Amino acid sequence: MTEAVRTVGVSGLWKVFGRKPSEALAMAREGVARQEIQDETGCLVGVRDVTFEVNQGETFVVMGLSGSGKSTLVRCMSRLVEPTEGTVEICGADLTAADAAELRELRRHKIAMVFQHFALFPHRRVVDNVAYGLEVQGVERNERQERARELLSTVGLDGWSDHYPQQLSGGMQQRVGLARALAVDPEVLFFDEPFSALDPLIRRDMQDEFLSLQERLQRTLIFITHDFDEALKLADRIAIMRDGAFVQQGTAAEILTEPANDYVRAFTQDAPIAKVLLACALMRPLAATAPEGSWGRISTLAPLEEALPLLLASPNPLVVCDGEGEPVGLLHGEDVAEVVAGNSR
Amino acid sequence: MTAIEVPGGPAAGLGGRLRLRDSGIRRLFGALVLVFVGGYVASWLLPGFGVFPESWDVGFAEPIDRARRWLINNQTTHGLYTVFLNPISDAIDAAIRWIESALAWLPWYVYPAFTGVGLWWARSRMAGVLGFLGVWAIGVLELWEEGLSTLALMGVAVIISLAIGIPLGIAAWRSDRFAKLLRPTLDAMQTMPGFVYLIPFVLLFGIGRVPSVISVFIFAVPPVVRLTEVGLRNVAPSMVEASEMFGATDRQTLRLVRLPQARPAILAGVNQTIMLAMSMVVIAAFIGAGGLGQVVLRSLSSLDVGRATEAGVSIVIMAIILDRFSQGIATASPGRDARWIRPIFGGTVAAAVVGGLLNHSAFPEGLNWQFASYIDDAVGWMQIHLYDIADSGIGTGPFSDFVTLNLVSPLRELFSSSIPWPVMIGIGVVLGLAARGIRLGLGIGAALTLIGLLGTWENAMDTLAQVVVAVVVTLIIGIPLGIMAAQRDRFQTALNPFLDFLQTIPSFVLLVPVIMLFHVGRIPGIIASILYALPAAVHYTDLGLRRVPHEIGEAADSFGSTRLQRLRKVDLPLAAPELMVAINQTIMLVLSMVVIAGLVGGGGLGFEAVKGLRRSDSVGSGFEAGIAIVLLAGILDRLTRAVADRLRPPPAVA
Ligand SMILES: Nc1ncnc2c1ncn2[C@@H]1O[C@H](COP(=O)(O)OP(=O)(O)O)[C@@H](O)[C@H]1O
Ligand SMILES: [Mg+2]
Repeated sequence: MTEAVRTVGVSGLWKVFGRKPSEALAMAREGVARQEIQDETGCLVGVRDVTFEVNQGETFVVMGLSGSGKSTLVRCMSRLVEPTEGTVEICGADLTAADAAELRELRRHKIAMVFQHFALFPHRRVVDNVAYGLEVQGVERNERQERARELLSTVGLDGWSDHYPQQLSGGMQQRVGLARALAVDPEVLFFDEPFSALDPLIRRDMQDEFLSLQERLQRTLIFITHDFDEALKLADRIAIMRDGAFVQQGTAAEILTEPANDYVRAFTQDAPIAKVLLACALMRPLAATAPEGSWGRISTLAPLEEALPLLLASPNPLVVCDGEGEPVGLLHGEDVAEVVAGNSR
Repeated sequence: MTAIEVPGGPAAGLGGRLRLRDSGIRRLFGALVLVFVGGYVASWLLPGFGVFPESWDVGFAEPIDRARRWLINNQTTHGLYTVFLNPISDAIDAAIRWIESALAWLPWYVYPAFTGVGLWWARSRMAGVLGFLGVWAIGVLELWEEGLSTLALMGVAVIISLAIGIPLGIAAWRSDRFAKLLRPTLDAMQTMPGFVYLIPFVLLFGIGRVPSVISVFIFAVPPVVRLTEVGLRNVAPSMVEASEMFGATDRQTLRLVRLPQARPAILAGVNQTIMLAMSMVVIAAFIGAGGLGQVVLRSLSSLDVGRATEAGVSIVIMAIILDRFSQGIATASPGRDARWIRPIFGGTVAAAVVGGLLNHSAFPEGLNWQFASYIDDAVGWMQIHLYDIADSGIGTGPFSDFVTLNLVSPLRELFSSSIPWPVMIGIGVVLGLAARGIRLGLGIGAALTLIGLLGTWENAMDTLAQVVVAVVVTLIIGIPLGIMAAQRDRFQTALNPFLDFLQTIPSFVLLVPVIMLFHVGRIPGIIASILYALPAAVHYTDLGLRRVPHEIGEAADSFGSTRLQRLRKVDLPLAAPELMVAINQTIMLVLSMVVIAGLVGGGGLGFEAVKGLRRSDSVGSGFEAGIAIVLLAGILDRLTRAVADRLRPPPAVA
């Protein structure tokens, strides 16, 4: 495994909307609840002391209900909204300390965003939408058009370049949004609920495509969603957000198996845990005793769903093997039963 | 054509009406009684019962005339001219000449061709064909050169309007403080009848095309400023964020996102600006703008109705073409496939260049056909058969006399002398008080007093009487039409083209057909005013009624109200604020027309102003009349707006 490179670092990030941010901040530090602060100062705490890091190539999903401050968080991270306090570091540069010109440079080359309602420019053709970032950078016309067409074909929109966005379906529009963000070849991409405006079927296609694209491009992705299933499907790591603060962050398995509190449990309860949890998440390390040859075998990356029938068919644990077929652990029936049962309780 | 936005929610009116009734009406009545008693007593004690005392005239005309003389004498020497005004004047003059000669160089057939193709592209094939024929018609009527001259003047004025108006709109969008300063200025500019703008520029520049262009510019610029600002303010924040996310600078975002997004609004402003310029360029004939307006003016002055009609028709053709074309561009959606036009357009341009080089500029001689003589015959016939049918005392002539003698003149007498001037002022103050408050009341009082002090009391009351008659008639016709249009879509669809057409006719041109029927005097002016204001009255009534929420109407129906009951008890009260806007617009449009009608015997302030423009020794009194017109317009506008605001429902409790 190559060494993880940190591309995004957020630490102690706060956003307070309103006229008396410092007062509200002081109250919040003392642990006063959001509603009380609002009643007292008229200020709304949008983001509350958020700290996390994301490594190169990782998909970090922020999940929370509507109004929990997800959008505010990504907007602070790109400084579409000025954070009240805290730092945001992108590729080693301190975004929060950047002046206007530095910020522009960072936005031009390092970060890009895909918006919930697409935010495509209705007065520009699809290709000119995609080329927008390059145009702003001053890339010459032919070159940027060529690059834009290339990206349109990457997202499967050959032949649509000369249309206007409003002539496309919602799913296609968001592909344009994706191509537009990718055109500037950013290190870090922000996705603010990019698929929630789409039909369920199209949403699933887009998620699959998102995964395969990320497989190839290996960018650092900050992905916002209010859909827990979507989070489980796309995330390397998930943060659960409530009232502006992170309630829990970790891998899907960590959150499913050890929800931090009842709030998180409310989500995990309905999650299709057997589909999401992988064998490697529940396996016990190989004991001194070698597994017997007759025991069933299963891949580390197999979801529990696949292990269940095998476990039911025999009283023995399953041997969990890595990519090369080498045994790396044992999956016991009682562990699986506990998690699945706990989940459906 | 003051386009006021109509704010106020749909569930309007009821609360406001009640408020007015409860607290206002009785006190208002009491106050009016007081004013009458007090005013009569006062005017008894003061000199000159009735008419505003002449001895109080502040004699503002004198210094203006002196200034005029001074300006004429110093035009070549003083710094104001050599450093400031003459360069502007020379630049505008050069621009007009240059554009005019360029237009005249182009082969004549380019115009119908270009119009046809342009309208086809912007609207429909039918529009293209009609436009093509329309331009031909102007040439056939032997008004080609006048048409080009009008077009050149318009072109320069519109270019200046856009070159200044759009940046002003951008500045107003950028700075709230500037916007706060600009908005009342634009409001004031739009309440003034265009005619008034001519006066100060004649004073500065004398008669000619330069002051014409400047006054056309001033008159036409407000819509494009306003709509540029509105368009920029309405750009969706998400668009701007998307742009900023790519690291666009403010200028880039403005150029690449905001302005293109505001394009439809800006183009709507351009359309309005062009239409205002068109109507003003005709009026500017009064100060030597030349062109088609000049033909109308000259013919009307010599009562050559036939020729006036020909020129009027040409102006209307031009106005309709410009309107439909700029509207078509403004409403075209991006993504509509219109590339087919390119080769045709290219061909037209090529033909233009080739034809120009081949010297095909002039409209062919043999193609003319004029209908002036038929019109003159018709007018002659009408003079015999319509003005006074068989000497029976029935006809348009006796009708005019009857209305003048029994309605307009008595009303003028009433306002200017029967009711003593202190009472008139008192009524103004009380109305202002009742409608808004102490400041409006005192403002109206001051304005009316100033009208008196300027020595324009009688003329102002004359104009006011005409306005009152015209407004009442317009509303009596317009509001029922608006009600019918709101209730029956079919009726609205049938009525709309007619109203649209009426609205496209530049105000001055409307006088022509009216004079044909009614000869000169106060009546043609009043009738032209009615025609001019009718579309707005109908439109705002219709709009107000259509805004009444559907469920509220249904609630009324569910109680078994008859159509009339529902209209009277629910729809009309709810639409009251819009009806007030209808009244406001009607008054403003009528006033601007009544003033122009000064030319055709309308009398009043308009006549004084016209005289000031035409005779250099009357510039001072023309100026005074101009100020009085502005004051009158301001009073009527503020008052009706205040009532409209009052009729709006109280804001919802949060
Ligand atoms: N510009 C703003 N001013 C004041 N409050 C805001 C602003 N933007 C967002 N908020 C508030 O912050 C909270 C979080 O909003 P948001 O980040 O949009 O939530 P989410 O994206 O999770 O739905 C909401 O209560 C919202 O009303
Ligand atoms: Mg959101």
